[in-house]
Amino acid sequence: MRDLAFVGFLAGLLALGIRRPFLFVLAYIYVDTVSPQRLSYFLLNSIPLSLIIALLAMGGWAIADRKDQLSFSLRQGLLLVLLAYAGMTTLYADFPVDALEKWDWAWKTVVFAIFLPFTLRTKLRIEAVLLFLTLSAASIIIVGGIKTALGGGGYGVLNLMVDNNSGLYESSTISTVAIALIPIILWLTLFGTIFKPDWRVKAFAGGLIFACLLMPIGTEARTGLVCIALLGVLMLRDVKRRFLFMAGAGLLGLAAIPFLPHSFSNRMETIQGFQADESAGTRLAVWAWTWDYAQAHPFGGGFGAYRSNHIQVQTVNTQSNGDVQVVTTATQADEARAYHSAYFEMLGEQGFPGLFLFLLINAIGLVRMEMIRRRYRRREGDEAWIAPLATALQHFQLIYMTGELFVGIAYQSFGWLAFATAIGFDAWLARRERAERKAGAGFAPQAAVPV
Amino acid sequence: MIDNFALGLTHCLMLLAAWRLLSRPDLGDDDAPPGPRRTWFRKDA
Repeated sequence: MRDLAFVGFLAGLLALGIRRPFLFVLAYIYVDTVSPQRLSYFLLNSIPLSLIIALLAMGGWAIADRKDQLSFSLRQGLLLVLLAYAGMTTLYADFPVDALEKWDWAWKTVVFAIFLPFTLRTKLRIEAVLLFLTLSAASIIIVGGIKTALGGGGYGVLNLMVDNNSGLYESSTISTVAIALIPIILWLTLFGTIFKPDWRVKAFAGGLIFACLLMPIGTEARTGLVCIALLGVLMLRDVKRRFLFMAGAGLLGLAAIPFLPHSFSNRMETIQGFQADESAGTRLAVWAWTWDYAQAHPFGGGFGAYRSNHIQVQTVNTQSNGDVQVVTTATQADEARAYHSAYFEMLGEQGFPGLFLFLLINAIGLVRMEMIRRRYRRREGDEAWIAPLATALQHFQLIYMTGELFVGIAYQSFGWLAFATAIGFDAWLARRERAERKAGAGFAPQAAVPV
Repeated sequence: MIDNFALGLTHCLMLLAAWRLLSRPDLGDDDAPPGPRRTWFRKDA
């Protein structure tokens, strides 16, 4: 039954796409995020759905979209270099078969991130992409939120509809994405035009944000808690009454503690006492191994290079028994442990050049959004939405990049789709400023070149 | 039950959003005058 519903939904979306081909781009975002083929038992799981819709999106754009004023930004160029470089590292990878397996999906992610900004020619398209990213992720987040609220959470226990632990269905990844999405949800609630802000939109957004905040609790992913803390700090930048916000957030946090499951509190305490925690110890050991590996292989070992690691993790557990402190140490051996960090993933797989490109692309994105944010801060009327969108996209990126410290999601497509939307938004604004200047309105005081 | 509720809600909203986009001329052109357009697979000019 669910299979038929998915087929009906996709058929409907694609049929509408025949009328407005941009909807194929939205369909791709949906398929890439929700992976309906993984949720179905027949029909969809037997066809290369993602590939078919990507071709429709690109074909639709090639045939039916306007190409005038098309610009190719520096970030898209850098992504292209990263793609070519990652392809090269795949050729001489330490584990050629495994490397090819990752390359097979990673290149599509990067190619679509390069392509997406070309299609974002209007403000409405930017909004539509953000809405589809949000609603697609919401289909997983709402499930997680309700199950957590009903007491079905737990580390590795929360059932997010599929058994396999990949894509957005991985607990740390969905926790990071859920928290990073909150600024975008807030922007859609204030400035959305597809669903105009009314009580229904606000009620849905409120419920969704609550579900987003429940994700780190339900999955017991410590990464999510770090992301929530950063979100709180970032929100301080724009709130009018900072002390009131801090006091409110503090009170809310304290009030929430008694309602948190005991297993969650225990797991979060391991952030401080990480020496006693094997998972954190393994992470540190893998990072140390990767750093040493990069010294010997500065150009990276290709996708899946972590498979050659052999690590030893020493855990130190201190327990007080009256006046006596009992310290127990244990050493555990492990091998082929994944990076658990996008930055070390880049360093190990694409070496220093890959990590440099990755950081550069992200840094340019952050700086550009900050420039837009400042330039349009005091604009009103038709332009009132611009600075808040730059802020929302920048906050998404900052929270996502923080999550990436602890999760190996360097090639996770959801993040790249959001970054690509920021590139498209930047290019759209540059086009608009050029047009305004040409019209002699004196609208843009600074040079506008998409970067 | 929970799965189907969440999937149903979000998918209905996505379909509704797509339907609303059909009648938005500003999907292809920021300066387009408001009003419905009827052609299929039209050039977004």
